[in-house]
Amino acid sequence: MDVFLQQLVNGLTIGMIYALIALGYTMVYGIAQLINFAHGEVFMVGAYFGLFAYSILTPLLSSPGSATLGVFLVFLFAMTLSALLGVVIERFAYRPLRHAPRLAPLITAIGVSFLLQNIIMLVFGPSDKSFPSLIESVTYTAGSVTFTNLQILIAASSVLLMISLHVFIRHSRTGKAMRALADDRDAANLVGVNTNRIISVTFLIGSALAGAGGVMFGMYYNTINFHDGYLAGLKAFTAAVLGGIGNIPGAMIGGLLIGVLEGLGAGYLSSEWKNVFAFFILILILLFRPSGLLGARVVKKV
Amino acid sequence: MRFFHSKIKIRHLATAFLLSALAGCSGESSAPVIKIGCAAPLTGDQAQLGLDLCRGLELAVAETNQQGEIIPGYKLEALLLDDQRNPAQAVNVAKKFVSDSDVMAVMGHFNSSCTKPASAIYYEARLTELTAGSTNPELSKQGFDTFFRVSATDDVQGPSGAKFAAHQLGLKKVFIIDDKTTYGKGLADEFKKEALKLGMTVLGHESITQGDKDFTPLLTRIKPLAPEFIYFGGIYPEGALLLRQARGLGIPIPFIGGDGIATLILVELASAPIAEGTYATMVGGDVEKIPAAKDFIAAFRARYGELGQWSAYSYDATNILIAAIRKAGVKNREAILKAMREIPSFTGITGEVKFNAIGDNEKQFIGVFQVQNGKLVYIGPAE
Repeated sequence: MDVFLQQLVNGLTIGMIYALIALGYTMVYGIAQLINFAHGEVFMVGAYFGLFAYSILTPLLSSPGSATLGVFLVFLFAMTLSALLGVVIERFAYRPLRHAPRLAPLITAIGVSFLLQNIIMLVFGPSDKSFPSLIESVTYTAGSVTFTNLQILIAASSVLLMISLHVFIRHSRTGKAMRALADDRDAANLVGVNTNRIISVTFLIGSALAGAGGVMFGMYYNTINFHDGYLAGLKAFTAAVLGGIGNIPGAMIGGLLIGVLEGLGAGYLSSEWKNVFAFFILILILLFRPSGLLGARVVKKV
Repeated sequence: MRFFHSKIKIRHLATAFLLSALAGCSGESSAPVIKIGCAAPLTGDQAQLGLDLCRGLELAVAETNQQGEIIPGYKLEALLLDDQRNPAQAVNVAKKFVSDSDVMAVMGHFNSSCTKPASAIYYEARLTELTAGSTNPELSKQGFDTFFRVSATDDVQGPSGAKFAAHQLGLKKVFIIDDKTTYGKGLADEFKKEALKLGMTVLGHESITQGDKDFTPLLTRIKPLAPEFIYFGGIYPEGALLLRQARGLGIPIPFIGGDGIATLILVELASAPIAEGTYATMVGGDVEKIPAAKDFIAAFRARYGELGQWSAYSYDATNILIAAIRKAGVKNREAILKAMREIPSFTGITGEVKFNAIGDNEKQFIGVFQVQNGKLVYIGPAE
């Protein structure tokens, strides 16, 4: 039982990060009907932005009084730059293809992802980079379940970000416009919703969340590499599909589920097949519930 | 995805044709060369190991050229190609070496999984291949007379690790983890055989995936089994993560691994206090303490800074190839291969190398290194 709880705690931690990335996939799909395969790379670049911010803010982070502020600034820096990166990608890689056949932006997305990987490889070098923990590690024990303050930080800030996102989408004017655009693009345009602006905002938010996920990923595993975005992005995409692509709460639940199922699968069945579980789930979902757990059945408009 | 690869390849080919056409026009003025290839992972998570290897080779080549022409009329040149620790890419690299008529010998590859398919290509082209890093025992049993190695084989290294743990540390309960690669699994399997022979309790043997980051599920399962140590057959990126995550879960037991984790980058990635106490077996002893290696170390430091864990071995390996080329005295692959077979024994900076009938080194000495105060310290022979 204790082992089970420990696996659950670990699975939830990585699940939070998957969920943050999955939100970007699902929001962009919901509004622009585009699978942004470069999103995993934005996540990876976000981790490198975090590393860069750390190298600037080292004096701030090393003095005990301002360490919290330092961590906050690292996140803010990585999120802001990732957000800008997302907007730039949308502006130059996807917007010119807005009315092209759906395959075209998909191919562009793969191109952008290669481009970002190789830029990072050239700038930061090909080998693993050591990523600082940023905070002094404290281990807590409850029963025989151990967890660290870092895991709490990841969970708390992920939940905070997700709640803010939910409030923003539900209650702000822009959020309302996003939902309108997702429902019916033509009707939204008729009542004055600016498609380009809203899509930019969507990329901005999605990429900022991915950037935050990247920094958490770096802090949690302490090493980052230019190809880390690939697998993490693929799993987050699976999470988005699992929850029902286009559905925001679905992406959150999907991310957590993927993290936990993967942890339990690797823990109880075979660690050798760890990566297989996520994709096995993807196949099952596509076979039996293609619209995902929370996805509405899409009625084809005639 | 395939589509993109092939498209890129076509562009590469086109560029290569253009370049070779240009070279054909203007290349005649330069002196004739003999090239020694270095095949290793130069990008990706194992890039540091590849750099360690190829720098040792470059240094040996530079020193040879300083002494004059290697054989009358020829200068020596290093040709570095990146196999990305990917067997498919290793095959491409091998084909490139084979098709370059100036390449007379290859030092590489590093990963056994890369050496395996590549060695068949070198064999067909009669190109001498000497590896300083691949340790899988099967490699020399493929019947390729072009294959040589200076590194210890896993069927020597794995059991040595088990003997060291049993005899010198007195440990009895082990959990084995490997990374599913030809090297990692091979090493772990050989370790396990010997461990069982020595009466150790093997609590389990599990695999992880190279490139993965999260091993907490496996470590969480290991924790209640309470092993006395963990044996890891694999390379340092996963080794560092395993160490970190084990300590995070409150598993304080020592790790023992092979030459794949015998590098300072393990310490850097895991952070010095966490890697502290980790053991790694590796062919040879402490290079720094060998008097013959003093000049090499000084020259290497002057050129590249920090001494790589593998550089002395690739330096020796390259010098063996250079000796064979000198002995052959002609720029001919078959002649150099014949000379290589006839080298009785070679004393380099890391000790004596003597090839047996299948190209393996008869003089395999396994030492144990331990991370102490953030450095890899030689603590004695593994027995």
